[in-house]
Amino acid sequence: MLLMMAPQLVVSGVTTGMLYALIGLSMTVVYRTTTIVNFGQGDMATAGAYATLVFAVGLGLNFGVAVVLAIGVLFALGYVVQRALLRPIANAPHLALAMMALAVGYALRGGARLEWGNQFMTLPRPYPQGALALGQVVIPTDTLVIVGFVLLLLLILLVVFQATPLGRLTQAVFQSPRGAALVGINLDAFHAVAWGVGAALGAIGGVLLAIIVPLTPDLGEWVLVQGFAAMALGGFGSLGGVVVGGLLLGILEKLLGFYVNSMFIDITGYLITVVVLLVRPQGLFGRRMIVRV
Amino acid sequence: MPEPLLTARGITAGYGSQQVLFGIDLDVYPSQTLALLGANGTGKSTMLNTLSGFVRPWSGSLRLDNEELAGKPAHRIFRRGIVQVSQGRDLFPDMTVEENLRLGAAIRRGPVGQLLDNVFGSFPRLAERRAQQVRLMSGGEQQMLAIGRALMSQPKVLLLDEPSGGLAPAFVREIATIIGVLRSTGVTMVLVEQNIKLALKVADRFLILRDGRAFERSDMREGAISEEEIVRSIYL
Repeated sequence: MLLMMAPQLVVSGVTTGMLYALIGLSMTVVYRTTTIVNFGQGDMATAGAYATLVFAVGLGLNFGVAVVLAIGVLFALGYVVQRALLRPIANAPHLALAMMALAVGYALRGGARLEWGNQFMTLPRPYPQGALALGQVVIPTDTLVIVGFVLLLLLILLVVFQATPLGRLTQAVFQSPRGAALVGINLDAFHAVAWGVGAALGAIGGVLLAIIVPLTPDLGEWVLVQGFAAMALGGFGSLGGVVVGGLLLGILEKLLGFYVNSMFIDITGYLITVVVLLVRPQGLFGRRMIVRV
Repeated sequence: MPEPLLTARGITAGYGSQQVLFGIDLDVYPSQTLALLGANGTGKSTMLNTLSGFVRPWSGSLRLDNEELAGKPAHRIFRRGIVQVSQGRDLFPDMTVEENLRLGAAIRRGPVGQLLDNVFGSFPRLAERRAQQVRLMSGGEQQMLAIGRALMSQPKVLLLDEPSGGLAPAFVREIATIIGVLRSTGVTMVLVEQNIKLALKVADRFLILRDGRAFERSDMREGAISEEEIVRSIYL
C-alpha cells in the first residue's frame, strides 16, 4: 500500500521540482552572463507574483495581461537593480555583489510585508482545475501547465544559449568580460539586460508558484533555497542540469517527506546543497565550478 | 605631411584621485606606427586605455577623423574604429581559435568569411590551429590570436599594449615580423612597448612619457636620434 503511493508522490514532486527548476533557470541566466548568483532571486519571483496580484485582482485586469505586465515590471526592476546598485560596485569582490543582491531581495520582501503583512494571498487559477487519471495516478492540470511552461522556456533558453550568436556572445562575456569589451560589446547594457531577463523569468516562476501555494512575503526565501539547490545539484551554469536538479530535488523531498519524516519537505533543499558542495561541487552536469562569493 | 588620423590634445586622466596623465598631446598619421615609450608607471598603458575609452579622460580632446570621442564609452569608440589589443590579451579561453576570431567581428553585420581568410592568410599558424582551444595555446600564439581578433573588426587604428610582454625571444621576433607586416599593409598603429629595440624597429615615430607628461617626440625617419639617446631620455 505504502509503495503504491510512490508514483503519485513522484507526480507531486515533478510539479514543485519543475518550479524549482524554473527559479534555478532564471538564476542560471544571470549567472551565465555575469558570473553572479542572484541571492535576491527568490524575492524577485514573489515580487512577480505580487505584481500579478495587483494587476489581476487589484486592478481587475485580464489574467494574461496582468502576467505580461508583471513580467515587464520585473524586467525593468532587474535592469534598474543592475544599473543603479550593482554597476557602481562592479569591481568590488563577489561577496559584496552577492550581499547587494540579497539586500535587494530583503527590500522587496519588506515592501511586500508593508502592504500585505503576513496574509496568505493566492492568485486565481487562470485555467480550469482538473486532473488526468492514468490508472491509479492522478495528474493535476497544474502539473501539466507547469511542466509545459518550464519545458518550453528551457527549450527557448537552450536554443538561445547554444545555437544563436547571442548565446555565443553570452559565453564570451562569461569567459572574459574584458575580452568581450575589447571586441566592442557594451558590457553594461549586456549585464543589465541579463538581470532584466533573469528577473522576468523569475516572475513567471513566482506566478506559477503562487497559483498552487499561498503567497506570503517570506515565500521568496524558500524559493531561493530551492532554486539554489537545483542549481547546485544540476551544476552551476548548466541549463539542462538545473532542470534535472530541480526535478530530483522536488521528487526527493516528496519521497523523503512521506516515507521518512515530513520535515524533509522543508530541509531537503538545504541538505542537497550541503551534500553537493561537499561531495561533488561541480554538480551533476557542471564542468567546473566558478562561484565567487 | 598628411592630416593626422587620430589626435589627442591636453589629455589628463587618472584613477580615483590619483592623476596619471598630465596633458598629453599626440598625433597618429594614417598607415604609420606611433610608439609610446617610457619606464614603468609613466602612464603609457593609461594613455592607450584612454584612447580606447577604457579610461575616461578628465579633460582634453580625442579626435578620430575629426570626430570628438573624448568621454565616449569604450564600445562606441570601438565602433568608430579604435581597437585595442590588451596586455593581458583577454581571449576567450574555452573557445576555439576560430570562435575567438569570429567574435572579433561580433558587432559587424554580414559575412565574416573573407575577414577570417585574411587573418588566416596573415597568420598561417592560427589557420593550422583554428579548431584548437585557446586555453591550450602558448603565450606567443595567444598574442597572435589577440592581434588577429582585433583585425577582424577592420580597425582604423590598432592599439597594441606590450605585444612582446612575457614572450620568449623567438616569439618576440615573430611578433616584430607581424607588426612589420601589418605596417606594410597600411595598418595604423599605436604601440606601447618596453622592448625598445622592437619598438624602434617597427615605429615611424615615437613619444616618450615621463611621469605622465610627454617628454620627447620625434620622427624616426629623420634619423636624428639614436637608440642610446632614447634609452637615456627614458631612464635618466
